[in-house]
Amino acid sequence: MAEERKPAGSKSTVVKKLKATAAAGAYQKQWFFSMKERVEREGCDFAILNADVPMEIFRAMDIPFVVNQWWAAICSAKRMGRKYAGLMLENGYRPDLNSYDSQALAESFDPDDHKVDADGNPMGPWGGLPPVTIAITRLTGDAQNKIFGLLAENHGAALYTMENTVARKTPLNWYELAPDRWEELYDKDRLDMAVEELKELIRFLETKTGRMFDMNRLEHVLNLINEQEGYYKKTRDLIASTHPVPVTVVDTINAVMQAQWQRGTEWATAHAKSLYEEIKALVDKGEAAVPNEKYRLMWLGRGIWQDFGFYQRFEKKYGAVFMWSMYLAMGADAYIRNHVEEDPLRALAARFIGMEDFLHMPPWNSSWYLQQIKQNGIDGVVYMVPENDMQAVEGSYFIKKALEDAGIPVLSFNADPVDPGKWNAETMTHMVEEFIEKRIIGKETNK
Amino acid sequence: MHIRDCALQDPAFAQLLDAYENRDKAANQWRAGGGKVVGKMGFDVPDELIIAADMLPIQICADPEKELKETNKYLEFAFEPVVRAQFEKLIDGTYADQIDYLAISNSTDVIIRIYLYLRELHRQEPERPIPEFSFIDILFTRHRLHQTRNEFVLDLFRKDVERWAGHPIADEDIRRAGAICNENRSALRAMAELRRGKEVHISGSEAFVIISAGLFMERTAHTALVRAVTQAAKQWPVLKGPRVFFTGAEQEDTTLYEMIENAGMVVVGDDINWGDRYYDRDYNTNYPVIRALVDRYMLREFSAKKATPQERMGALDWEVDAAGAQGVIFYTHLYDEVACFDMPKQRKSLESRGIRHITFGRMVWPENRNQGLQEKLNQFAEELKAEGGDQ
Repeated sequence: MAEERKPAGSKSTVVKKLKATAAAGAYQKQWFFSMKERVEREGCDFAILNADVPMEIFRAMDIPFVVNQWWAAICSAKRMGRKYAGLMLENGYRPDLNSYDSQALAESFDPDDHKVDADGNPMGPWGGLPPVTIAITRLTGDAQNKIFGLLAENHGAALYTMENTVARKTPLNWYELAPDRWEELYDKDRLDMAVEELKELIRFLETKTGRMFDMNRLEHVLNLINEQEGYYKKTRDLIASTHPVPVTVVDTINAVMQAQWQRGTEWATAHAKSLYEEIKALVDKGEAAVPNEKYRLMWLGRGIWQDFGFYQRFEKKYGAVFMWSMYLAMGADAYIRNHVEEDPLRALAARFIGMEDFLHMPPWNSSWYLQQIKQNGIDGVVYMVPENDMQAVEGSYFIKKALEDAGIPVLSFNADPVDPGKWNAETMTHMVEEFIEKRIIGKETNK
Repeated sequence: MHIRDCALQDPAFAQLLDAYENRDKAANQWRAGGGKVVGKMGFDVPDELIIAADMLPIQICADPEKELKETNKYLEFAFEPVVRAQFEKLIDGTYADQIDYLAISNSTDVIIRIYLYLRELHRQEPERPIPEFSFIDILFTRHRLHQTRNEFVLDLFRKDVERWAGHPIADEDIRRAGAICNENRSALRAMAELRRGKEVHISGSEAFVIISAGLFMERTAHTALVRAVTQAAKQWPVLKGPRVFFTGAEQEDTTLYEMIENAGMVVVGDDINWGDRYYDRDYNTNYPVIRALVDRYMLREFSAKKATPQERMGALDWEVDAAGAQGVIFYTHLYDEVACFDMPKQRKSLESRGIRHITFGRMVWPENRNQGLQEKLNQFAEELKAEGGDQ
């Protein structure tokens, strides 16, 4: 557990918007347009990848790509949801199934995607994706074959799928083993298989794009990622050990998530460094996100994109601050694989085969949350259980039980994290207020 | 009830019906005789290995009447209803009294999660009466790499079965079991000809009973009964009505087929695991034994869960043609809906060939709880008849 650090004479400045958060938002747009311009200028291949596909290979081979879930967030921010639901229906598809993962599929039905309206504004999100020639997913869920199969067909792109294997060995301290001792973390045959999957992916991409893979380039990319994630680790440790916290999840979620999609680039590494330095400066100046911090809350689940203000509603009244989310902590604990030079492909395999399991497989998720609760001095957990997404099913009973057995109050509720129509801010706020009053403050009073 | 008197009066069919209705009977007898029983969850557990070890494989099934007292604590809503009901029997001690071991195959997302939850439940509550289980992480992407991986995976399962049996399994025993299963599949194919031939002698419900009885009884005995009933059914009256193919939600009993038949339609084929998919593709007795298992379980017709929409469209076109169906019924349960991604292409292809279809989505289980279902089936039957689909 990190040493607790309390800035002397904490000032009252509330930090709700870091420069690094704004910079990440600005960069992604600039990056997208420059990438799109390149694809159209060079007529080169362009790939869409599911989030768990090892993008590092594409980075190393300089193949332009976007991640399906990142693009879904852009579509959502551009308010394409209603139109895309209509397009899915028009083409015979259910808009309510895997809606987040299906945004790019819906876009592929849109005849206006690359057109401009009467005012000259693009009708597709940021003018639509460049021509997709490669669609790649991992078979971590039954819907993946379907969504990417249709996506590839609609674009006339090549479909490539990677298999997923199930862990037999599940040491509880995965977060301690992952950086250096991954051979102890995984079944050997699963790692061997994942390395072979990577070799086959590389061969496919070489054939498709005419570009030859360069192992030294991959090593460089992996080292950049280690450096980037190393800054997240320092940032997480710093926030965990500082009372009151210098920033909340409102800043860290966006700052980290957007840069993670760019991992393996010089920009992403520099951004992670700047994030750390900015937060460190706040700590050094004794600035607090919530000066009257009394209770530290953990948020379990995907971000509430449609209502980020939700996280801040309990600060003034209760001094309750949402200071932990998986986004920064996953960067800190799940990505780093040291000594990549010994075998870059195996190091990469050791990263991508575990990523889904760290979050969605009991007991790996619950054991990590417990460890994080201790490190961060968490007083209570608010847990949004995915309502109808089998791929996000994660043993919520086991998580809740593990945490409550350790004496941590947990508020769990069911919700659809991507459907604003199903989110009731008033009900949710009331529920969390009641939780704070009865389970957290009440617990303290009863001591 | 669309099991006709001609079937009920047939001694072989009566025995099959008994096995179908009393699903724990054969297992209990087997155990009473000192044998061991292996429950199967998922549809890619190789029977051949279990039979080769002189154990009885039986399919894990749901009880529609049972309250889900335990399950509702552990499973999220996203788990489909039939599997939820199966899980209840696995953790409430029901199956602990009926099976010795449990084999779970990587057949769908939901089954994988059930394995992970059982494993965690066992870790946290070791006193809970859950039979010892093994997970078969078989892959379905048709690449050489995955074929080789599957050989490794089935070798691991072989070792588990050997441990359960208390003795090694010889290659020749696996080949012999492969031949027993092939004989069973061959008998079922011959039966299916009477279900989908020009003249239909066996109804969908009757075929369902004949096929699914094999999931709960000794294989050689099942084969003999299937052969006998097939011989007798040649004399059963010919069924009249529009010929339909059923695709979608897994069925564990004849409720839905009976509703379809009540509407006057004849179910001449389906692609479910308790139906035609059960006897697809043989075990190749000329291959090395494990390779032959991989070949059978990896390369039979795609399941709805493990294929692209393009592959599923091709499969349905072929199956509908082979069954000579005039209409197709698409049917999915709430929370078991991934097949919905296949349907638009499948429907379009059927339409291009003049085959009518009807879609039932977000259906609840058990099937008889769906209000208005019978009326819609009646209407579909009328539409088919109006088009001259009443043979």
